Amino acid sequence: MYLLIAKQFIRSKVVQLSLLLLLALGIMGVLIGKQFLQKQERTLSNVTQHQQAHIARNVELHREIGLLLYYLRFTLIDQPDRIAGLSIGQRDVNPSVQSITIRTLEAQLHDTDLNNPSNLQSGNLDLGFVIIYLLPLVVIAFLFNLLSEEKEAGTWRLIAVQSNSTLRFLWMKLSVRMLLTYCMLGGILLFAYLILSLPVNRQLITFILVAILYTTFWFAFCFWVVSFQRNSSFNALTLLSAWLILAVLLPASVNNYVANLYPVPESLAAMVKQREGYHEKWDMDKKITMDKFYTHYPQFKKYGVPQETFNWTWYYAMQQMGDDESLKERMAMRAKIKQRENASRWLATAIPTMHTQFLFNDIARTSLSSHLQLLDQTTEFHERLRLYFYPKIFENAPVKSEDWKKFKPEYTRAENNINITFALLPLFLLTFGLASWGVFNFRKTNDA
Amino acid sequence: MLEAKQLSKTYQGKEALKPTSFTVNKGDIFCLLGANGAGKTTTINLFLNFIQPSGGQALIGEKDVVKEPIETKKLLTYIPENLMLYPNLSGLENLEYFSGLANKKYPKEEFLKFLTEAGLQADAHDKRISTYSKGMRQKVGIALALAKDAQVLLLDEPTSGLDPKASNEFSELLTKLSKKGVATLMATHDLFRAKETGTHIGMMREGSLVEQLTTDQINHTDLEKLYLKHMN
Repeated sequence: MYLLIAKQFIRSKVVQLSLLLLLALGIMGVLIGKQFLQKQERTLSNVTQHQQAHIARNVELHREIGLLLYYLRFTLIDQPDRIAGLSIGQRDVNPSVQSITIRTLEAQLHDTDLNNPSNLQSGNLDLGFVIIYLLPLVVIAFLFNLLSEEKEAGTWRLIAVQSNSTLRFLWMKLSVRMLLTYCMLGGILLFAYLILSLPVNRQLITFILVAILYTTFWFAFCFWVVSFQRNSSFNALTLLSAWLILAVLLPASVNNYVANLYPVPESLAAMVKQREGYHEKWDMDKKITMDKFYTHYPQFKKYGVPQETFNWTWYYAMQQMGDDESLKERMAMRAKIKQRENASRWLATAIPTMHTQFLFNDIARTSLSSHLQLLDQTTEFHERLRLYFYPKIFENAPVKSEDWKKFKPEYTRAENNINITFALLPLFLLTFGLASWGVFNFRKTNDA
Repeated sequence: MLEAKQLSKTYQGKEALKPTSFTVNKGDIFCLLGANGAGKTTTINLFLNFIQPSGGQALIGEKDVVKEPIETKKLLTYIPENLMLYPNLSGLENLEYFSGLANKKYPKEEFLKFLTEAGLQADAHDKRISTYSKGMRQKVGIALALAKDAQVLLLDEPTSGLDPKASNEFSELLTKLSKKGVATLMATHDLFRAKETGTHIGMMREGSLVEQLTTDQINHTDLEKLYLKHMN
C-alpha cells in the first residue's frame, strides 16, 4: 500500500522537480561550506608561517624592545570546527584569528575579516540556510493539497467508501511524504559528512536531531493547516504567507525591535573614549598618566615617572589609558550586546526558524555568543602578553635576550554549552501541539 | 440486502427526500428513475453515509449505515457517474491501490483476473489511467467491486456519457454481478437500460418514490408512458 502511495506521489512532475531542486541546493550548500572551511584553513596555515617570519624580521630590524613590541603581533586562534561548514553563521565576518599587538586592545578587537560585500549582503547559502528556509518550501509543496487534491480530482469519494478510516489514509499519505523528505535530508547530510569530513560527535548528532525536529515541525504545521479542509489554493496561499512571516518578517521584526529596545550608543562612546584616553595624554604632564597607570598596576611603581621627553614606559602607559579610560563604556557596550542577544534568543523560542538558526550556529560555534567568548579570551591573551612584556620594556631588556621563537600562535576554543532539552523543547512542543490540533480537527469532521 | 426505512433528508427546510421505504434483495438490480433533483443521488449518498439522514434508516445487510459505518462500508462498492482514479497510476495499480485501502490484498495475477473479468482489454492493464476512456475507468470500478467481493453496488448514473456499446457492456457486467447475488441500487436516466438490465424500477419525483414495479410487469412503451405521466 505504502509503495503504491509512494509511486502515485513520486510520479508527479512537481514532486520530482522539488526533490531535484532541494538536492541541488543541498549540494550547493555543502560545497559553499567546504569553500568556507578551505578559506579558513588557508588563513590558518598562512598565519602560523607569517607570525614566525614577521617576528624574525622585526627582531632583526629593531634594537629597542619597546619599539619592537610596537610592531609585533601575536596571534590567538579559535579554529572553526568542521561542522562550521554546515552553518557558517557570523564566522565569515567575525575572524577566527585575532592578531594583536600589546598596544591599546580596544582599537584592535573589533577588526573584521575582509569579504566580498555582495556575498555578505545576501548571506551564505550554507546547508543551514537550505534546511531552515528552503526545505520548508518543499514540505509545503508536498503537503498543501494532501487532502484537497483528492477532493478536487474527485478521488475522495471512492477513498471514503473504500477505507475504514480516512484519517488513517491521510496518515499513510503523510508518512510517505515525510519518509521521502527525511531520506532526502539524510542523503544531503551524508553528502556533507563525506565532503566536509565531519567527525561523528555530539555536535553532529545534535545538528541532525535539530534538523529532523525542525523538518517535523513544518510537517506538523502544514498538517494543521490542511486539517481545516479548505481548497488547495487557499492552503497554498496560507502556507506561503506563513513561510514568509516565519522566515522573513518575524526575524526582521525581532531584530528591529531588539535593536530599538536596547540602543547601543556606548559603541561610539567607547571608541571616542579609547582614542581620547590615549591621544590626549601626549599633551599632558607625564605624571598624570603614570599615576593612573601605577594605580592599575602597583607592582610597576618602582619604575617611577620618566623625566626624558620620550620614554617607552610612558608610551605604553598612555596606550594602557586607551583601554582603562574606556572601560566603563566598553563594559556597558558588552552588556547591551548581551542583552540584545538574550532578548533575541528568548523571543526566538516562539519562532522556529530563528530558534533553529540560533541552535545551528551554537552547535557549529559560529554564533555571536561564540564570538563574544573569543573576544573575552583575546582580552585575557592580551593581558597576559602585556604583563609579560611590560617589565622587559620598562627595564629596556636587550632584544636578543628573549627567545622569540617560542611565540607561536596560541589556540583557544569558545565552548558553547547547549542544553539539549531546553533547545529542543520549544520545537517539540510546537510540533506536538499543532499535530494534535490537526488530528482533533480531522476527528471532528471525518470519523464521527 | 439493502433497505430504506422511512428514510428522509431535509436541507435547510427543503425536503430533498421525503420518508421513503424500499428493499433491494440479493441479485436485484433496483433502478431509480427520475428527473434531476428528484432525490436519486441523495438516496445513494444516504446509503454511502456521505450525508446524515434527517429521519428513518438506511440499512445494508440489516445494519444501520450511520451506526456501523465501517461494517456497512465493507459490503459495498460505489461507482459514481464519472469514476475518478489516479491518472499517473496504471489501471492495475489503481485497482491495487483502492483495494489496498479496503485491506484487500491479492497476488498480481488475481488483480489481472479481476480486470479481465470486468472486461478491460489486457493491453490496457498496465497503461496509465490518463490514457483511459470513461468506459474503461468504469470497468476498473467493476473490477474494484470484484476484488472487494462487494455484496452491494451503489451506482450513480454510471452509464451516462458512455457510447451504446460501452453502455451495453457495462449492463452485461451488472447482470453478471447480480447473478452472483450482488444487490445493486442504480440511479439512471436511461429507461431502456433500466428495463433491459434492472429487475426493479422505482420512479422518483420531488423527493418521493412515486412508483415501484418489477421490470417483467411492463414493456418498453408502457414504461416510457408511465415515466412521462409521473414527470408531468
